[in-house]
Amino acid sequence: MAKVYTGRDGRLLLDGTEQIKVTNWSMTGNLETLETTSLGDSQRTYAPGVQEFNGSATLLYYNDGTGRNDAATALKKVLRISGVTDSDTVTLRLRLTDGSTDQDIALTAYITSASFGASVGEVSSAQISFQGTGALTAVTI
Amino acid sequence: MAFPTLQPTSRDFSPGDWPIKRFNSQSGAEVRILYGSQRTNAKISLGYDNISDTNAQLFLDDYAAQIGTLRTFDLPAAVRTGWSGSAGSIDAPPGAKWRYESEPAVRAVRPGRSSVTVNLVAVI
Repeated sequence: MAKVYTGRDGRLLLDGTEQIKVTNWSMTGNLETLETTSLGDSQRTYAPGVQEFNGSATLLYYNDGTGRNDAATALKKVLRISGVTDSDTVTLRLRLTDGSTDQDIALTAYITSASFGASVGEVSSAQISFQGTGALTAVTI
Repeated sequence: MAFPTLQPTSRDFSPGDWPIKRFNSQSGAEVRILYGSQRTNAKISLGYDNISDTNAQLFLDDYAAQIGTLRTFDLPAAVRTGWSGSAGSIDAPPGAKWRYESEPAVRAVRPGRSSVTVNLVAVI
């Protein structure tokens, strides 16, 4: 069945838990290229280098009444008293779903940036950026 | 073992000079005496960026085959790729050959890829 995916189909899972009140997410994959053009060539040639994956997401700063606040959990990956260690990675799963089939990209990442604030007339939200480490762990798009 | 027939990604050539001795008198007059009939000390620096490790290995093998900086050799035409002037203009002077001026430098770029820099000097 033909389908156009929209924000309604988007999900973000952090360490296996579907995050609540996510307003957007995005991710980018980059491939570094190594130039192999030699003297006498008229066109540039390249060889593949290393890849990297990074992205960002925005979560409303929302407490669901049971004490769960996904935005705060994400923020505390960076905004913390103790330092960040090698084990402070998160498993992110960026998903578009049609209800029966999930289109996923999964990766292990460090939360590299976290910011939030409060403004008059606006809902408080948390913006996080992440940097993938290693290869993608699942791609089912 | 011959010098690898790969096209370089960069090439720097300096033609060297004839052996000339300069004498300056107290008056400031200068006299130059030519001590040889051949140009010497031509140098060429070749860069091979992002080549396969297999090709990078060729330079190390050739360096070993030439016993480092000991033996002399000719360069293949591939070294002059992209040069539209006469081949002899950027080669060793007549009667001279190339030898390694220093050991090849091999820089690992990523798994399977390396960049190599080779410095050669022409000797009679």
